[in-house]
Amino acid sequence: MAVIEVTDLRKSYADLTVLDGVSFSVEEGEIFGILGPNGTGKTTTVECVEGLRRPDGGSIRVLGLDPVKDARKVHELIGVQLQQTQLPENIKVWEALDLYASFYANPRDWRELLEEWGLAGKRDARFGKLSGGQQQRLFIALALVGNPRVAFLDELTTGLDPQARRTTWELVKRVRASGVTVVLVSHFMDEVEELCDRVAVFNRGRVVAVDTPAGLVGGEHRMRFTLMAGDTSGTAGLENLPEVIDVSREGTRVVVTGRGDFATAVTAHLARHHVLVSDLRIDKRTLDDAFAALTGRSFE
Amino acid sequence: MMKLAVVEAKLLTREPGALFSLLIPLFILVVFGSSIEPGDTVLLPMALAIAVGMVGLYLLPTTLATYRERGILRRLSATPVRPGNMLVVQVLLQLVLAVTACGLLLAVAGTVLGAHLPTGVPSAVLVFLLGTASMFAIGLLIAALAPNGRAANGIGVLLYFPMAYLAGLMQPKDQMPAMVARIGEYTPLGAFGQSMREVWAGAAPSPLLLGVLAGYALVVSIAAATFFRWE
Repeated sequence: MAVIEVTDLRKSYADLTVLDGVSFSVEEGEIFGILGPNGTGKTTTVECVEGLRRPDGGSIRVLGLDPVKDARKVHELIGVQLQQTQLPENIKVWEALDLYASFYANPRDWRELLEEWGLAGKRDARFGKLSGGQQQRLFIALALVGNPRVAFLDELTTGLDPQARRTTWELVKRVRASGVTVVLVSHFMDEVEELCDRVAVFNRGRVVAVDTPAGLVGGEHRMRFTLMAGDTSGTAGLENLPEVIDVSREGTRVVVTGRGDFATAVTAHLARHHVLVSDLRIDKRTLDDAFAALTGRSFE
Repeated sequence: MMKLAVVEAKLLTREPGALFSLLIPLFILVVFGSSIEPGDTVLLPMALAIAVGMVGLYLLPTTLATYRERGILRRLSATPVRPGNMLVVQVLLQLVLAVTACGLLLAVAGTVLGAHLPTGVPSAVLVFLLGTASMFAIGLLIAALAPNGRAANGIGVLLYFPMAYLAGLMQPKDQMPAMVARIGEYTPLGAFGQSMREVWAGAAPSPLLLGVLAGYALVVSIAAATFFRWE
């Protein structure tokens, strides 16, 4: 069942078109990535879905509800972690959780969240005294305190060190494991590849592709090598290997394109025919390559 | 809503600015109070006007503009609670703070200093409410226009001193040029201070000045509501 359905969403500010017909749907229980460089309409889209912005056109359904008309009901069912949001310096961790829990009809026990998110030791600490990672964990806990069906996490690892990012990723997986659908906005390829079941790739206010990370990458890899003996006959049967898509030869340099575990098949074939090679390299396609192929521009 | 009020009240007590709004007028009262004659009708109204002015012009706009700057109002609008609740809670709490500051001043002046306390309690309350309403309206307008908390604080300070000067809170009115003193009487803080002095002197407050205060409160709060942004 689709928990979020966005159809032909449009939004402009003055004469700047920010969203130019965005459509996608999010299925129950998945981690859905919204990926794209900064300024491509990711956050605007998510804020429209959260009912924080009014779209100019198109339709949005969140669990069957209109986030503008049924804002209150939608806000009962979703939890959000917004980009660039702070809490008052002097609020204590437990006070923030207790306060936000009071906003919802069926909140979770915030003491549990405190434990789960490793904040029990910081219960009485003031927000302003927390480290970046602790603040981020508190924001995620606040997004979950209302017992939401969908959690929106916007650029949640920006500004965290690599170790804290890894830890946060594990926590996001745990959120999904608890049955909450997660919408993850990110401009980090590695994050999306690690976490998301499916990804909508944004470029200039449009969705240019929706697929699994593996599907976007396409599973195609390349292998290059140079024949040492200068004899090309040994590579003759390579085209016939089931994993190989294409073989191109230029003098003694050979480039093989294939999918899956084609590298093992190719090297086994070469060994069987006693072909000696040097400069063997395998290029794995990445989401960056996929993005460049989809949009004709590099990511950052 | 109740929990929001409790948490915000706790936060207010942790705010050094709140303590200053209580202590600075009290300090002025005590320092100058040692040299007043018994039955003085000038010093206490002045201290009260300073207290209300500080809460309305510094504390209220700085708090609200900081909340907007930090995205706290925006975060609230993503919950089932309307961010308008925060505005209501803040205005009420700051009102409580202004009343507390004035209560403290009255208590100290009435007991320790032996200053004159007004007999016309209803008109004193009326003047206090209208004066506070006009100060808070200006505070809300600052909060609406200031891009961030620091700017709100700066605008508050920039407005406070000329307003306090024109109101005759910085030196005795008879030492000001007559023209300036006359104009000053129709500024929000001036009308507030003057009405207070009238009540303290045992007279009924001038309807014209009360009308001026009500006018400021109404017009400026409409402007604040028009310009207010949640983010």
